[in-house]
Amino acid sequence: MTAPLHEPTAEAAPSAAEEAAVAGAETKAVQGRSLGRIAWERLKRDKLALTGGIVVLFLIVVAVLAPLITSLYGQDPDVYNESMIDPLFGTPKGALGGIGGDHWLGVEPVNGRDIFARIVHGARISLLVGFLSALVAVVLGTILGVLAGFFGGWVDAVVSRVMDGLLAFPQLLFIIALVSVMPDSMLGLSGTGVRLLMMILVIGFFGWPYIGRVVRGQTLSMREREYVEAARSLGAGRFYILFKELLPNLVAPIIVYTTMMIPTNILTEAALSFLGVGVKPPTSSWGQMLSSAIDYYKSDPMYMVIPGVAIFITVLAFNLFGDGVRDALDPKGSR
Amino acid sequence: MLAYLIRRLFAATVMLVVIILVVFGIFFLVPKWAGVDIATSFVGKQADPAAVEGVRQKLGLSDPVFVQAWEFFKGIFLGRTYAAGGDVTECAAPCFGYSFRTEQAVWPVLTERFPVTLGLALGAAVLWLIFGLAAGVLSALKRGSLWDRGAMVVALAGVSLPIYFTGLLSLAIFSYGLGWLNGEFVPLEDSLTGWLGGMILPWITLAFLYAAMYARITRATMMEILGEDYIRTARAKGLREQVVIRKHAMRSTLTPLLTMLGMDLGALMGGAILTETTFSLPGLGQKVLDAIKNQDLPFILGVVLITSLAVLIANLVVDVLYAVIDPRVRLA
Amino acid sequence: MTTQRTSGRRKQAAAAAAVVAALLTTAACGGGGDDSSGGGSKSSAAAGFDAANNKVAQASEAKKGGTLKFASSQDADSWDTTRGYYGFMWNFSRYYSRQLVTNKVEPGATGAEVTPDLATGLAEVSDDGKTYTYTLRDDVTWEDGKPITSKDVKYGIERVWAQDVLSGGPTYLKEVLDPKGEYQGPYKDKDKDKLGLKVIETPDDKTIVFKLPQANSDFESMLALTSASPVRQDKDTKSKYGLRPFSSGPYKFESYSPGKDLVLVRNTEWKQDSDPVRKAYPDKITIKFFSNANDLDARLIAGDYDMDLAQTGMSPQGRTTALQEHKGNLDNPISGYIRYASFPQNVKPFDNIHCRKAVIYGADHVSLQTARGGPVAGGDIGTNMLPPAVPGSEGQKYDPYDIAGANKNGNVEKAKEELKACGKPNGFKTTIAVRNNKPVEVATAESMQASLKKVGIDVEISQYDGAQYASVIGSPSNVEKKGYGIIIMGWGPDFPSVQGYGLPLWHSDYILDSANNNFALIKDKKIDGLFADYVNTLDDEGKAKIATEINHKVMEGGYYLPFVFEKFLNWRGSRLANVYTTDAYSGMYDFVNLGLKSTK
Repeated sequence: MTAPLHEPTAEAAPSAAEEAAVAGAETKAVQGRSLGRIAWERLKRDKLALTGGIVVLFLIVVAVLAPLITSLYGQDPDVYNESMIDPLFGTPKGALGGIGGDHWLGVEPVNGRDIFARIVHGARISLLVGFLSALVAVVLGTILGVLAGFFGGWVDAVVSRVMDGLLAFPQLLFIIALVSVMPDSMLGLSGTGVRLLMMILVIGFFGWPYIGRVVRGQTLSMREREYVEAARSLGAGRFYILFKELLPNLVAPIIVYTTMMIPTNILTEAALSFLGVGVKPPTSSWGQMLSSAIDYYKSDPMYMVIPGVAIFITVLAFNLFGDGVRDALDPKGSR
Repeated sequence: MLAYLIRRLFAATVMLVVIILVVFGIFFLVPKWAGVDIATSFVGKQADPAAVEGVRQKLGLSDPVFVQAWEFFKGIFLGRTYAAGGDVTECAAPCFGYSFRTEQAVWPVLTERFPVTLGLALGAAVLWLIFGLAAGVLSALKRGSLWDRGAMVVALAGVSLPIYFTGLLSLAIFSYGLGWLNGEFVPLEDSLTGWLGGMILPWITLAFLYAAMYARITRATMMEILGEDYIRTARAKGLREQVVIRKHAMRSTLTPLLTMLGMDLGALMGGAILTETTFSLPGLGQKVLDAIKNQDLPFILGVVLITSLAVLIANLVVDVLYAVIDPRVRLA
Repeated sequence: MTTQRTSGRRKQAAAAAAVVAALLTTAACGGGGDDSSGGGSKSSAAAGFDAANNKVAQASEAKKGGTLKFASSQDADSWDTTRGYYGFMWNFSRYYSRQLVTNKVEPGATGAEVTPDLATGLAEVSDDGKTYTYTLRDDVTWEDGKPITSKDVKYGIERVWAQDVLSGGPTYLKEVLDPKGEYQGPYKDKDKDKLGLKVIETPDDKTIVFKLPQANSDFESMLALTSASPVRQDKDTKSKYGLRPFSSGPYKFESYSPGKDLVLVRNTEWKQDSDPVRKAYPDKITIKFFSNANDLDARLIAGDYDMDLAQTGMSPQGRTTALQEHKGNLDNPISGYIRYASFPQNVKPFDNIHCRKAVIYGADHVSLQTARGGPVAGGDIGTNMLPPAVPGSEGQKYDPYDIAGANKNGNVEKAKEELKACGKPNGFKTTIAVRNNKPVEVATAESMQASLKKVGIDVEISQYDGAQYASVIGSPSNVEKKGYGIIIMGWGPDFPSVQGYGLPLWHSDYILDSANNNFALIKDKKIDGLFADYVNTLDDEGKAKIATEINHKVMEGGYYLPFVFEKFLNWRGSRLANVYTTDAYSGMYDFVNLGLKSTK
């Protein structure tokens, strides 16, 4: 541990994770257990993180199988059930927003669309945007972070400046601005497709510096490590070292930061849909449901509560799982 | 030191130019490439061909792109005039655009609204720093205690809840429900108590999310630092626990948090949009959303540009302060 | 160690969930169980449900003085008298601008009639209906005390010609007075006084003469529009005039910050005896703009504000609360609007009348009504295309397709018959174009999509940017290119006559390359002929008869599927006195003579 004491946490995290990696490497030599295995052992003991993980898995399954689930359930997310609506107020008939045997979570005001079906389909949008934008961030962040750390010099200077700049910028504003000047159809996509693509790309683009920073720091310190030196002295090419020696050691911090990033992305997507610049109707999204539920916050509170709770549970599950993964991979448990 | 300052200033200037060009690109080139008529979207609803032509002339949209970019750039520093059909509109420097929908230059409107957003952000920042830090430090010191668990429960809920959801809930409960606060904005110049009364709910709403985040981070950082060698050394020297914590642990905990605070300025703007919308606060965020609703592009553009620049400047200041405090930075 | 922390965190998570659950419950209960706070105590003297709908509520209780407080979730398009087109702007502008003639300050249909304002009387019209002469009253003044002259009136009207600078407002006067578009507008006028428009003469400061190239029986209604207000040339700030219009009425601008607030105060130079129309009760009039419509309604109900400026009905939550707890503060007037779908004939198969009729028969009209908000907040099922407030309208009595009768839930059989007659027995595919910024319109599109599926018509919904409507659905070539077979829109009369409503929708001359409103591309010589007869018919009965006839011709062509004769549910604050709705402003409350019961 040679890092200076007053290092900001931003740097402390990678150094700690790196230590874990080194510790892992050492244990490997001694006990023949891989880092992944150790982490898994730790994770298994962390009941809460496991629960979070199970909820996340469950949500993924729900999102993937959404059409199947709704067809088994017998309600289409886009079909109107006006018989369920009180014509005077436009709110669902019956208590709790029309919750009952046919409609497990009730129906939407005005049109009577089934809320359960819409929540299930909404999970697809949330997770799709959450994961894919994280993927974009990971790909960009890893490539640029490794480049910056490995080559140093002006490459590092430029990449680092750009990362600092992007991290500080009002992302939500930029995203809103971009989405609002974009046309409704492009690249052969239209409506929701365009908006989805935009959101994934833009959220991902603003997310890569988080990964990039960690990867850069990691690469920077590893570049000087003995085994890299050794490989180099054995005549290994730079790119060979890059791929063979560095990348495996970056996996742990990348996983940690990715799991932490996904819930943020989900919240961003919900916020965009809430502000009306997310996916377009009739595609259902939790943020959009929340925003239309505002109009009925008192007369049909369940309509607001259900998507709100869906967002809460999802984000909470990811956060718990993320905390657990971090603890498992990095026993010192900084951020 | 001077060399460092010059270097940072130069970098900031480059960034400034880059930002202006990027924003120009987003608003003028992207729509063009995507086949949207910019003049029409600047005019809006009742797009009479004569009116569209008027705006096209005023914006100089038939000029080559680099001329438009130059005019846009020049306007920010020297101001510009829009002229068409016998009507001349002055937009004084700094001209961050001119809305043809409300017939206003963007800059004065935003400067008028800025204090509201600033008040929101500062008040919330004070709240979340106090509560976030206090909760985090206490939790770290009394790890495992009832207090620790309680605080972390709230913090976990805080980071997992969308800000507009908590805002709506607080309005529904405290304003419409219990009738404690009417949650209506009153300008500070009109009445201090009125202003405070109107801002409390928005402050709490915005601060809740960040307080939760900061509490979690403070706790983690503090715990890590308490395990460091030098704290052990300090304790071993026989220093009183209070002194150890106040003099050694707290200081190391604060540094990374201040870095974070600098970085969160941009994100805070996003939170402000959502909060101002929920509480009808007449700040920048509300204006942005208004502008989105009315497709009033100049205002969206102006707010994006101005907040980006503000963040840029704030970070420059933070950097310089850092250099003053910590000499090692200058060499980096 | 790890285990201990974990178990701590598990409880945390469970407890975090519990905290949220508790908050939610509090919100739900806190919201529901409180009828007595705020609003209740202040609303003791509400006049009753529909008390101001087409009649005057509490006229005698109006006192001089106090601050009348409007709230709105929407600012005007412009407060410039030439540029404003929003109904509430026309209504509100009577506080600070006067015209030669204006609408009567009386409830319902009478309110739509014209009465002298700046002029001493209604126009002296020549026998051929082409010359209109007015004399101005004495003592009519601007806010700086200078007299309002006929030249100011002329200049104000001339501004309508400067569309490149002052876009947005209605252009009827320009089309009637200068159909060939010869005048270039005051800003390009070579005349030294900028008064080069030949068809308006001002022989002296008190007299103004309009010489129409062709008679138009609605001309005086056009002069009652806000766009015919006087503007003084030395106070004309061109495109920026809307930020601070120079007042000719009883109030003047004290401050205005777009999207934030607006304050009017008394214009001390205005003289009550020079104005037969305005009572000018309050001392001060304010508008506060909200970004959260629910917040706005909550504050209206709490009594913090007196009236919604936009007058487009309350948001769903406010509506429910108000109906359940404060019904006496509500009015449910018919707005002048009809919400409808239109079928462009340049998109196949809508060139065939039978395919158009198939859609009319196939749609579920009750479902469309529910999507619009139901019978109270949405309106009665629309059966034809002439709004109930327009003379010559027959309301639901004229229902050629049995839309509100036998076929109200859609008639699959009839629709299929029509499809067969159209040569598409198995149905067809088409696209609905709908504005993305109007959730209710999207809901109606989704309703049509659902019901037309049953008759074999497959519909795709295409949402476009509402702000771009002029170039998206207002361009027939774009409509054809995109295959928009069904366009969802709404329309209200600018002034209550078949001309003020239907001319841009149904006359073949109004098929435009952009900003077109004749979406169906109606080119019917008979309809065009009826409009020509209309402008030459001077008696009201004759005018109404022609209006009825035009409406029948339009409906017989199957160009439109009307959804509803729109109704609003508007809030009338308990402090207000002398409140009534008027057909002059599409069923809105008449703002100009609102008073307060108490000046505190």
